[in-house]
Amino acid sequence: MHELSLALEVGRIAAEVLERESAASVRAIGVEVGEDAGVELENFRFCLEAVLSEAPLAGAKAVLLPAPGDSLRLAYVEVDDGGPDD
Amino acid sequence: MAVRTIEVRERVMARNDLLAAEVRRRLAGAGVAAFNLVSSPGSGKTLLLERTLEALDGELDIAVITGDVQTQNDADRLARHTGRLVQAVVTGGACHLDASQVGAALDSLDLASLQLLFIENVGNLVCPAGWDLGEAAKIVVFSVTEGEDKPLKYPKMFRVASYAVLNKIDLLPHVRFDLEAAVANARAVNPALRFFYTSAMTGEGLPEWFDFLRTQVAREPVW
Repeated sequence: MHELSLALEVGRIAAEVLERESAASVRAIGVEVGEDAGVELENFRFCLEAVLSEAPLAGAKAVLLPAPGDSLRLAYVEVDDGGPDD
Repeated sequence: MAVRTIEVRERVMARNDLLAAEVRRRLAGAGVAAFNLVSSPGSGKTLLLERTLEALDGELDIAVITGDVQTQNDADRLARHTGRLVQAVVTGGACHLDASQVGAALDSLDLASLQLLFIENVGNLVCPAGWDLGEAAKIVVFSVTEGEDKPLKYPKMFRVASYAVLNKIDLLPHVRFDLEAAVANARAVNPALRFFYTSAMTGEGLPEWFDFLRTQVAREPVW
């Protein structure tokens, strides 16, 4: 049930990164979820998708990364600087 | 497109833990002992608090922060026993309190004139386990009308708690509840857990609970 709070916090941190990096958009976020983190994975994924459907993160994909212990952290943010294609 | 991957590695609970540390600092500065009461719904948290306020308010300076989700009921009950009650701002459906809500609640309390603070968390044995509120300790309340395997079903909660209040012991003759098994189950996940055996209804076991609270506020305030 607390997965939504956690997803919102992940979204808040990701939005901060987006702003700090002055990137145009977020393509993906990687979230480390420990096996003892007390997080129900399917529920968390669902909540993350909801958070990632809204600006400024709209369109970003959530990647859940298995981790040991009770680790729960935003591992990486993949941003798009919005420049022209190579 | 210029795509790059930024390593963040930020803990999701980092902000809450920062706010909890600030709450803890404020409480320590004012010499307030704060306990975070956690339990499943219906374990008797509110009645235990009512009895505690009835017995000790006047002797000790006590405040309560309560986090009932949908109703004013707990707040109304507690307000009959204390003038120092803060209802945390809890949005409908929330499953736990967080440190920012407690920090905001502290703003409306005169900490300098307080000795003891109870934070009555949302009734839920899962979610509140993950949120540090800046308390001195978590106290898990569970009752003999629940299963004695509760500590095994919700190990995280029993692991993060320092104390357990086993409530409704007046009902022991009427329910199938193995007290020894319950305590053994709890100690299996947390050997250091200290138990109180109470009936908030009849008052049995409450003197030990009150004495414990007295020892917690015996410290001189730290100025």
